[in-house]
This record gives sequence, structure tokens and C-alpha cells, in this order.
Amino acid sequence: MLAFIARRLAISSLVLLAATFIMFVLVALSGDPLADLREQSTPQAQAQMAARIKALRLDVPIPVRYFGWLTDLFRGDLGVDKSGHAVSSQLALATTATLQLVVIATLLGAFIGIMIGVVSALRQYSSFDHGITFAAFVCFSLPVFWVATMLKQYMAIEFNDWLRDPVIPLWVIGLVAVFAGLVWASIYKGRWKGKLTTFAIGFAVTAVVLYALSASHWFADPGLGFPFILVVSLAAAAGASTLVAGWENLQPMYAALASAGVGALLYQPLQPVLSDANLLSILGLALLTIVVSWVLGHTLGGLLRRQAIPLAVFSGLLTGGLIFVDRILQAWHSYTVSVRNRPVATIGSETPNYSGDFWHVSLDSAMHLLLPTLALILIGLAGHSRYSRASMLEVMNQDYVRTARAKGLPERTVIIKHAFRNGMIPITTILALDFAGVFSGAVVTEHVFGWRGLGAMFTKSLKEVDPTPVMGCFLVAGAAIVIWNMVADIAYAYLDPRIRLS
Amino acid sequence: MSYARRTGRFLAVATGAAILLTACASGEDKPAANESGSASSAPAAADTTVTHAFEQELNSYNGYTSEEYSSQNHIVVNNRVLQDVWGYSTEGGVKRNPEVATYEKVSDDPLTVKYTFNPKAVWSDGADIGCADVMLTWATGSGKFTDFSYISTEQWGRVELPDCKVGDKEITLKYKQPFVDWEALDVLTMPAHIVAEQGGLTVEEFVDAVKNGDKGKLKKAAEFYNKGWLFNGKMPDKKLMPASGPFVIDSYSPGQSITLARNEKYWGEPAKAAKVVIRFIPQDEQVQALQNGETNIIEPQSNPDVVAQLGGLNGVTVKTGDQFLFDHLTFNFNKGPFKDPNLRKAFALCVPRQQIVDNLIKPQNPEAQTLDVRNVVGFQPQYADTVAFAGGDKWSTVDIEASKKLLSESGKGKLKVRIGYNQPNPRRTQVVELIKASCDQAGFDIVDTGSEKFFADGGDLANTNFDVALFGWSGSALNSGWTSTYHTVEKCTPSGKGNNKGCYSNKELDKVLDEILSETDPTKTVDLVKQVEKTLWDDLMSIPLYSQPALTAWSENVQNVVPNASQASVTWNMHEWAIQ
Repeated sequence: MLAFIARRLAISSLVLLAATFIMFVLVALSGDPLADLREQSTPQAQAQMAARIKALRLDVPIPVRYFGWLTDLFRGDLGVDKSGHAVSSQLALATTATLQLVVIATLLGAFIGIMIGVVSALRQYSSFDHGITFAAFVCFSLPVFWVATMLKQYMAIEFNDWLRDPVIPLWVIGLVAVFAGLVWASIYKGRWKGKLTTFAIGFAVTAVVLYALSASHWFADPGLGFPFILVVSLAAAAGASTLVAGWENLQPMYAALASAGVGALLYQPLQPVLSDANLLSILGLALLTIVVSWVLGHTLGGLLRRQAIPLAVFSGLLTGGLIFVDRILQAWHSYTVSVRNRPVATIGSETPNYSGDFWHVSLDSAMHLLLPTLALILIGLAGHSRYSRASMLEVMNQDYVRTARAKGLPERTVIIKHAFRNGMIPITTILALDFAGVFSGAVVTEHVFGWRGLGAMFTKSLKEVDPTPVMGCFLVAGAAIVIWNMVADIAYAYLDPRIRLS
Repeated sequence: MSYARRTGRFLAVATGAAILLTACASGEDKPAANESGSASSAPAAADTTVTHAFEQELNSYNGYTSEEYSSQNHIVVNNRVLQDVWGYSTEGGVKRNPEVATYEKVSDDPLTVKYTFNPKAVWSDGADIGCADVMLTWATGSGKFTDFSYISTEQWGRVELPDCKVGDKEITLKYKQPFVDWEALDVLTMPAHIVAEQGGLTVEEFVDAVKNGDKGKLKKAAEFYNKGWLFNGKMPDKKLMPASGPFVIDSYSPGQSITLARNEKYWGEPAKAAKVVIRFIPQDEQVQALQNGETNIIEPQSNPDVVAQLGGLNGVTVKTGDQFLFDHLTFNFNKGPFKDPNLRKAFALCVPRQQIVDNLIKPQNPEAQTLDVRNVVGFQPQYADTVAFAGGDKWSTVDIEASKKLLSESGKGKLKVRIGYNQPNPRRTQVVELIKASCDQAGFDIVDTGSEKFFADGGDLANTNFDVALFGWSGSALNSGWTSTYHTVEKCTPSGKGNNKGCYSNKELDKVLDEILSETDPTKTVDLVKQVEKTLWDDLMSIPLYSQPALTAWSENVQNVVPNASQASVTWNMHEWAIQ
């Protein structure tokens, strides 16, 4: 294995090296670095051109420039851009910005996409499957800049206008409820009577919830509240345990319920702690939750500890997450006031000079992340849902799945334990490549939402025909692809014994 | 049985954990409760903050080095941070700034100007503004100290070493050669006491070193001057960036924004807004940011879509106008058909200048007119006079018949004319289309030779490989910039011709141009410019077309926003901005 990794690394670095040369030459040839100065009749233009020629070394041939850059690189110096700024510091800032922007979106996009994909595979050729396929292809073919502009118009500008009097018109409630009912009914597998009931329930629940939210002006001062957190966290714990462990053995469910219940009961006592929170104390609380949940899972899990512990930890963290969301929503009203009643932002990663406690600052970041994350998820959703659907369908038709059914295993066990696990193996490759892609930045999204990430740095320097910063971005992106590819291979071998053994 | 036991155990553990955690929590309860009052109350809306949007980031506090100099980045931010003894007026002219210093010409031969700094003028760190700072500008701009990177020695290269000592508020500058734009000399640039201190010198030592021409002693100071003010991912220490204007740089968030705060030490009229934030927002995203209240003022590049988008907004003031940036057609005097004045005339008669403005510029600037001279723009007070004198207005109507007649008289038949310009540029492509539609009727055969390499080294413009070139000049109200564009060149080669792209030559005009450069009386300069414009029209050296439209928009709750047609940008009076 080690020899394999070493060989892969050596070959990859040679490829990367060759690629840097091609990239450098292409960038240097991509345009006229002096174009913007050629229409200036000011006396300064000549001096500016001279300075730029010196900074970019335009007076020597491109290969000489390249080897100059390479020599610096081997000395551990990424060089300076044409105005003398260190590329390394720019790269650090840009990478941070890109990671902030893209990681959450990639994770959420993958999670939601896989879930949708699996469900549509289980309900192959149902109206849900067709609907999802249609929506996925629509999203897939939407240009990001258009989605982004629409999101800004409707999710930010109009939404902020609407917040002044957050009442949902009845016809909107009706439409959304009908849509929700249709979605649920399409997931339901069975006769039309059942479908109709599902539709009715979906419709009614959505309509009542929306009406209640509207009538209580919930959007003006939102929050979840203790009863909601208690009910939802217990329900989620029960649901997750049913899915994973089933009803036959209840120890894992007890563990999950216990950890959710303990978490929810702590809602009130935690409030004073939370009002004085910082990132460290939140992480500490999360760690504490994991420890307590682990202990609960271990004690209550009995013989099924291996199922009970993750379930308990999941339920505990979910409950903690709900409490976190509830607390952050408590800051909503005052945050809204402090940003002149326009909480959803269209541009940038922060409100300039915003100062407040942990919750307000976090909310500020969240409001700036909201639209770009939505845009990225919408676009990325399609790929993930299609891949996981295809992979899941393939596995469901395998002999061992049929065997598992023939053994008389419940359908839940067949799907979760036999089909889903194996179906996810190919997805790891795609996820790894996705993460490698993160480091190339999201060029259009970054531009539209005013984030100065790797993509923005790349395009800006390319426009200015300034190779050094472009090469910096290229190195980060290239190295990420090499490394993540290898991670994918290793993970593959770990997950799939057939590969390890061959 | 066992179920019951398990349930009991579960409840026991759950309660135990709950009590334990509650205990942990309540341990921290007290201080938290005390602070919760202030913590949960959100920061108040920053009511006295005005936000402006600009596309590019600021890279350095010092915008005078040749590496960092750019007409926009520094001006937008530093307009009212680092101020000078003069600034651009809204019409683009020179506006003296008596809050910093008054100045007057005391002699014409040699040109001598006396500056009297306001006795109250100090940098925002309390250091005196005066002689030392002028000495720094001289050291950097005179070209005597080559370690300092400075954008142009054109101005200060003419000035003799000032004779003043630290603390002096009256400084007299004597010119070796007269200089037309003496009123617009950059006198107060960067803080000398900071440069001296960072160079390991006292201010006195620094001034002495400048006087003695001691380059070695100033080496460290020069290094700081060139590199010490760069923003490398974060801004330099605030102590290194004292301001001479009503604002100081307060904070900087890379890639996001820069914040200016009121300079409490400012001796003149204080800034109305406590803070001005300049957010770095791409141009095409600025309108929605304005609409969502994330910025109050925007100044994007004008195009019909942006103008239409802004027109649909409520509570937003939109102002369009001209700017010091004009497109024109230049003839090739070196080779090709247009060495013949009659053919230039025939061509000029068929160029639909009015139609070009009506079709391409008016949708963005309803008051747009054809630009009838080259070096004076429509919003300048002397424009109408200059046009009348130069006779530029008579070229605004198309006369196909006259054009046809001149063309047939020359016996050239169907004359092929190659119009070159830089692509992609949709507007200029449309200009060529309009010219083709009109001039082909007169018997020309217009060929669009626009290319992406038009401006490049070895491109068509450099090699004078065009019959007519269509490109822009960014001008200014100062006169020292443009004269070389019309001056006879030494050699018609890419490097020899400088700005005179078509290698036009008129020895008589050369004399007038030289005269302008050394004319120190502004009223006389206006007359000389008139003569230049008349000669340029008589010779048909080039055909000016239009000023590129400028666009400024701001939300109505901001007061005192006044667009500035010069390079000074809308931030020229940011100390007067106020918000409701």
C-alpha cells in the first residue's frame, strides 16, 4: 500500500509540474497585460507601463519567466503579484473564503442529493421519481449567475420587503400546501386510498403550520421553543432508530430517546450559558453532548451497543443543534433591527464593521452565506441525486439483495444494511472529487456574491495577465485534486474488501 | 421484568445526567445572567454610516509609486483621507483647497509659487503639516532620489530644491522651466514624519539628507515608502497611516470593505458622517446591493441594462452625464489613402456622428451630444466657445452628396477603408456598422478590422496598420497630459510615436502645443487650446465622436451626493455625505 501511495505521489507531482509549465505559458499568452494603459494620455501612463513591464518581467521570454517562478517555488516562495503583494497571503485569504463558502454547500448538497436519490431509487418510476428527475435536470441546466440573480431578487430583496409585514397570503398557503401534499402522496407507495390520505395529511399539516406562522407573525421574531424541541428531537430519535435498528430490539431506541430527552430537558438550564457563548464554549458543549450520549448509548445499548452509540450521539447532537438554532433565532429580531430591517444579504461575507455577541455575528455570517449556499446546492443537487439513484438501483438488482430478501429479512434491513451501504461505495469517489473541486473555487458564485475566494483571485489575475497569482491558485487546486483522488482510492480499498483482496 | 429494569436504569441515568448538566450550567449562571442583558441587546443600527460601492480593492496606502498608481483605486478611498492643496472641481477643473494651504504665483520668470499652509494643519497623529512633507514630495518626485518609486517626474522634475526648514508653513517653489499645470502640482502627498521615522531618521535628519542629496541615508526610508504601505492581506499599522483630510482609515476587511472614520484632529470643517464604508462589490452586482440597502451610493460603468434596471427602482436618485473619456476616429497620416486631405474630408462628411450619439449614447444619457472638440468636454464652461471657435459643430451633419463628389474627384473609385479597434467592444462594433451604412452610400468600402490584438505590442495600433483607428482617450482638465498626442513624432515607429498613433504632423501646431506647456496663465491657455482645436479640425487630424456616459446612483436618504465628472469620482465630497 505504501509503495502504491509513493508511486502515485511521484507520478502525480511530475504531472503537476508539467501542468504548471503549460499553465504558465497559457496565462502569459492569454492577453495584453498593458491593455488598460494604452488608452491613457496622462503623462503617468508611460511610467506605469515601465513599472508593469518590470514587475511582470515582460522584457524576457516566457520560459525564462517560468523558470524564475519555479526557482522561487522550490525555495518555498510563491512570489509576488504585479504590484508586489505576496501571493501566499492572498492565497491564504482566498482559500479561507472559498472554504467558508463551499464546504457547507458541498456537504449539504451531497447529503440532500443522496437522500433524494435513494428515495427516488426506492420509488423507481413513481411520480415522485419522475418529478425529481425533472427537477434535477432543470436545476442542472440552470446557469448559476441567473439562479443567483433570481435568488437575490426574490429571496433577499423581496423577502426583506415582505418581512416588514410578514403575513403569508391565503392563496400562497393554499398553493404550498397542495404542493406539499402532492409530494408526500407521490412518495407513498400503495393504493390510491392511501395516497389520498397521505395527500390530505400533508396538505392539512402544511396549511395549518403556515397559517399559524403567518398569524403569529413568527417571521418577525422567530424561535422554536421548548415544546417543539422536545417533540421533534424525540420523534427524530425514534425515527432514526426505527430506520437503523428496527422495532425488534429496543435498546438502541432507548439510548437514542434518552440522549434526545436529556438534551431537550436541558433547554431551559442552558439558556444563561448560551447567552454568553462563544465558539469555544459551543464546541465544548458539543463535545460534552457526544460524551454523555456515548455513555448513554454504552449503558443502555446492551448487546446492541454498536448501533446504540452512534444513534445516541446522533440524537444528542441533533437536539443540541435544535437548541442552537433556537438560540440563534432569538437573536433574529434585534439583528434585523441592527441591519435596517434587511437581514438577508445579497453581497459579501459580512456586514462591514458589524459587532455584536456570538449569536449576532453568527447570524450575520449565516445571512451572508444563505443565498450563495442555496445557489450552490440547487446546482449541485442534480448530480448527486442522479449518481446515488443509479448506484442504488444497480445494487438493488444484485443477487445478494435478492438472497437477503429470500432469507426473509425485513425490507428495512435489506435496504439499509445490504443495499444502501454497498450503493454508497461508488459515491465516495464522487464526493472526494467534489471536495477536490472545492479548492478550485466557485468562480461564478464567488463573483456574483462578492466573495473574494480562489475563483475570484484566479479570474482577476487572469484578466490582468498576471501569472504568479494564477499559478498559486493552480497549485492549490492541482494539489487538492491529486490528494483527494488518492484519498478516494484508499477509501475505496477500505470500504470494499474485494478491491483490497485483489 | 427485564424491560422494567432497563427502563428504570434509563430514567435513572437520564435524570442523573440532567441534574449533572444543570449543575454545570448553573455554576456559570451568575456572570452569564449579568451580561445577558447587554449581550442579547443587538448592536444599534449604525445610523451615521454611509456606504459606497467600488469594484477594486485598495492595495496600498501610498498611491504615488509607479507600481501602485492607478487613477481610481486610491482616489476613491483616499480622496478625503490624503488631501492636497488642490482637488478636481465637479466640472473637472482645478479647485484650490484653502483649508490646507493657499497659494499664489509670485513671479512668471522664473515661475515661482508661494504656498502658505494653514497654521492649524496637522496630520491626524498630531504631527505638523508643512515643510518636511513638501520636502518628501520633492525627494520622491524630482527624480533625484531614484530609490523612491514615484509615478512621474514630469512635474517635480522642473522644480528646484525648496529652501525651507522643518516647521515652516510658508514654502516657495521655484521652477526651472515654466509649467502649464502649476496650479495642479501635487504638493502634499505622504506624511514625511512617518517615512523619516521608518527610515530610522528624525524629521530634521530626513530634511537635511534631502537637501544634501544623501541617497545612502534615505535608502531605508525609500524602502518603506515603496513597500511599507502595501496591504498584504491586512492593512499596515494604523499609526503608519495618519491622514491629512477629514477622514482616517479605520479598519479593513480583506476582500470585503474598508472603513473610514471621522478624523477627530481635523482642523477644518468636520465630516458629517461618522463613518464611510467602501465595500468592494463587482460592478454588475452593485444595483441589487443598492436595492437591498447594502450600499448607499454606486458608480457603475454605464450600459443600457444597468440604466434600465436603475430606472425601475424606487427611492433611488440616478444621475447620468459625460465623463473625461471619449471615443474618436484617428486617421493614418503615415500611409494609406488618408494622407490626402480631401479624402479625409470626404470621410468626415459621411460619418454619422449625430446618429451614433442618438443610437448608442442617448439611451444611457438622454442629454448626450456629439463631442465636437477633443480636449474640452461638454460640461466644462469653455466648451461652447471652443467649439464655436474651432468650427467643430459643422461636422455633425452627414452630407453624402458632398462626400461622394469629393471621393469621385480624387479618382479613387470604390475606396476601401479599414477601421481598426479593440475587440470585444460591442459599442465600437456598432459604431463601425453605422459608419459603414452611411459611408458605403458615398462610395467608400468600409471594412471592420477590429481585433483582440489591436492594442497589443505588434498589434495594428502600434504598427500603424489601419486607415482609421477607433479608440478612446481618458482626458483631464489638466493640459500637460494631452499635448504630446498631437505633436510631430520623431519617428513613426511603435515606440517612437508615443500617443500620436496616426503620426500626424503640423509644425505650426507644434509651436502652439509647446507654448501651452509653458503657459502659466490659465485664461491664455484657454485661447491656445481653442487654436489647437481649430487647427485639428482644419487638418481633420481626427474625428471626436462622444464622451462615454457616466452613471451615478444613490438612495434618497443620503444627502449631498454630487457626481464628479473628473477622475476624482463621487467620493470627492464624501465629508459632506450624510444619511437620515
